[in-house]
Amino acid sequence: MTGSNIAAHPTIPTDRDILVCIFQRGAADGLNALAPYSDGDYYGHRPTIGLAAPGNPNGAIYVNDDYALHPSLAPLKPIYDAGDLALVHATGMPHQIRSHFSAQNLIERGVVEKTGPSTGWLGRHLASSAPASSSAFRAISISGNVPAALNGALQPLAIDNLNDFEFDQDIIDSGYPRVLTDLFQSAVPFSAAANAALSAMDELQAADLASITPDNDAVYPANSALAAKMLQAAQLIKSNIPVEVICLDSDGWDHHESLPTYIDISLTELAGVLDAFYTDMGAGMARITVLVYTEFGRRIAENGSLGTDHGTGSLAYLMGGGVNGGQVISDWPGLNIGVNEDLQITTDLRTVISEMLDKRLGGADVGNLFPGFTGATSVNAFLG
Amino acid sequence: MAGSGSFDPGAILGRMQNRREFLHMFGRGLGYGALITALPACGGGGSDDDDGDDSPPQSPIPKPSRQYSVLKRTSFGPQRDEMTSINILGIGNYLEAQMDHLSIDDDSLEADIQALFPLTMQAPAQLIGGFPDNIFDVATQMIAATQYRQMFSKRQLYEIMVEFWSDHFNIHLINGLGPTLKPYDDQQVIRQHALGNFRDLLHASAKSPAMLFYLDNFFNQAVAPNENYARELMELHTLGVDGGYSENDVKEVARCFTGWTLRFPGDPGGDYGEFVYIDPIHDDQAKLVLGNSFAAGGGQSDGEQVLDILAAHPSTANFIAGKLCKRFISDTPPQSAIDAVASAFTISGGEIKDTLRALFATAAFLDDADSKFTRPSEYLAGVVRALAPDTAYPPDKGLFWFYVQNTLGQLPFYWPTPDGYPDEQSYWASTGGLLNRWRISFLSFAGMIPGLDVIQVDYAPMLGGADTVNTVVDAIADAVLMRPLSSDDRGVIVDWLQGELDVTADEVLAAGEPERASALVGAVLISSVYFHLR
Repeated sequence: MTGSNIAAHPTIPTDRDILVCIFQRGAADGLNALAPYSDGDYYGHRPTIGLAAPGNPNGAIYVNDDYALHPSLAPLKPIYDAGDLALVHATGMPHQIRSHFSAQNLIERGVVEKTGPSTGWLGRHLASSAPASSSAFRAISISGNVPAALNGALQPLAIDNLNDFEFDQDIIDSGYPRVLTDLFQSAVPFSAAANAALSAMDELQAADLASITPDNDAVYPANSALAAKMLQAAQLIKSNIPVEVICLDSDGWDHHESLPTYIDISLTELAGVLDAFYTDMGAGMARITVLVYTEFGRRIAENGSLGTDHGTGSLAYLMGGGVNGGQVISDWPGLNIGVNEDLQITTDLRTVISEMLDKRLGGADVGNLFPGFTGATSVNAFLG
Repeated sequence: MAGSGSFDPGAILGRMQNRREFLHMFGRGLGYGALITALPACGGGGSDDDDGDDSPPQSPIPKPSRQYSVLKRTSFGPQRDEMTSINILGIGNYLEAQMDHLSIDDDSLEADIQALFPLTMQAPAQLIGGFPDNIFDVATQMIAATQYRQMFSKRQLYEIMVEFWSDHFNIHLINGLGPTLKPYDDQQVIRQHALGNFRDLLHASAKSPAMLFYLDNFFNQAVAPNENYARELMELHTLGVDGGYSENDVKEVARCFTGWTLRFPGDPGGDYGEFVYIDPIHDDQAKLVLGNSFAAGGGQSDGEQVLDILAAHPSTANFIAGKLCKRFISDTPPQSAIDAVASAFTISGGEIKDTLRALFATAAFLDDADSKFTRPSEYLAGVVRALAPDTAYPPDKGLFWFYVQNTLGQLPFYWPTPDGYPDEQSYWASTGGLLNRWRISFLSFAGMIPGLDVIQVDYAPMLGGADTVNTVVDAIADAVLMRPLSSDDRGVIVDWLQGELDVTADEVLAAGEPERASALVGAVLISSVYFHLR
């Protein structure tokens, strides 16, 4: 099966992209991923860890006269040039919370304060439209647990390894799965999760994901937890299972110290994974949107441990055929502020997500998605 | 089908021949390149304080006895002899006896641990001598000792509280020098104070070399403050995120702890891993913490004062009470229970036993059985405790247990971020989580697959002569579950067994068949919702 078949996926409504969300856990530093190297204050705040300007030894990759990519993000430059990648800078959720756990909870719920719905923005989006099929796979997190963003969807799946979600034949032969099905048939606690698990197993067995290999000579990074999950996302999309939303986590972005060393590792992995997926999907990218986001950004100034502490604005990545790519989307706030200050958020992430759901995922009921949000609902980040 | 991709502990054990593979398997994707430098302290996923949207409202399954429910909540799983004990003593006396944990003779278990897992008892100065070559051994012994105690200790409530505080003051073992430091933290901080006084526990944690390292306070100095510990101290250890502190308080508390560090290898004046306060790098200017003015020149007492203020703060009482109620009652405990527990915490000055006493007296604790999905540690230890309490814990099977608990997602000391393993049922009762429990239930505990039955379950005493499908199901359900099955669910199991064994329900089974049937029934029962609720 080639990637181009996705465009003709039989069971997904034609007005919807498949959405892949990658959450960078730990608050990724945006200023060393996409450096505003022309801002006169950048090197003043980051004298040691700042990325060298393009053209210098180990210099960042020229994107335009204002921004340059970390050298480890080189694989993303051709995608950007092809118009399939947009970078949203100084974005995030406008609040003053600097706790990872609270901020992840807020951004996944799509709110800026503790009150409000307990469901997630993706869960509410999915609940607002009827499933296109009876598949258990409408929404899945390729991890052990359902992320808060998916709460509110009808029984989202959480499966850590799709290639290992099965009973052995001995167990099947014993009739044990059938007994479980019967035991969970009545409204006992967790019967919904149990039945979803049993259905998912049947679907996966029929789909035989292991037989679906990367197309177009795509090579996923080795020894990478994120790559292993992204490969499964690709297999799932190329199978006949009508998945609509896939969530993945990328861990380890909390670079309080030795940021240059660690962010190099993290960005290399991220770029390699996005590049492999983009290549693998080929023409299928016309019907896929990838969103990469994080809970908040980091201080403008480096700290005493060659790292950065918790801040606010950061960087989001949008990839796909429906992305209005080849541009950095930013109303640049400038860095001419105090040492202890943060990158001001000038593009609300809810604006970007609203536009994404509206133009690429079948419509956005913004009032329901983001209660109380009155900002813009488009920054021209998507086509359609 | 039964090949490469599936759950195959035998193959796993065969594969895990060396440290590298162990770390790869148990490192949960975290690189271990920089052994001396701390890895980034945060970055794990997971949901925050959640809503438990999958809470069991009007469960159609019959409620267990009050005694069963209390045991399920205060131990790693009911055991037959403990059911007898709580029935004789009464709930109140049983819990009092458990709280007086030092009076419970557990010498033989501790002797086993000394012999089997000696590295868990060693000081940092001893462990650093073998570091980093001993990372594998330290990790396996720390995990094994924890599992061993959860399964077999008679001090079950104490072990529950050890797990609770290990999550509350979470430290990721595989974190730079962590393997040389966490064993001391486990012994001298968590286990020392688990049923003691919260203020003492907090002070011990603040000076724990493992904590000073994990949350970067060893970087924290006047010229370059690092806020990591200060923030988590208030957000996770004491006040809670809504406990009424500001970003400025975070900065001020960080200043108070400048100079709090540990002695590194080669440092003069004492052993590696000891807490040390270094005055020249302390910020000795005046400070303002939560409205309290600290005069300049406070030195080490700045940090001590912060800990005392936090330990005595009303937000801390509420936060700890809320977490305890969440642990022992449900994800959404009644506010009246939280208030009663917080009040006991405050009045007693943070005495953990007094605080628990108040909790154990609440109606919600005593009456609202089946309100929460168990976590994997309870499931694993609970299976052993229910099916084979006298089983050995053969060290050569140790890796199997690690693998299983890692698969279930709750390997001790392996949660990477400082918030500790989640305590919300919506986190654990996922599709993937359920399937893993089912597979493990079936493969490892039912004795179905020769060579993979890690614990030897002796069903004969449970059967007590039962020799038909009907009587076998009743005998095993009584022995394993210790709570009643609904007639519908009993019927499902009976029907299945009739088909599997090709007999009628009251037909006397051939020799050996009752044992075979028992294994099937046992596997199904520990896969059912009856076993996973508390």
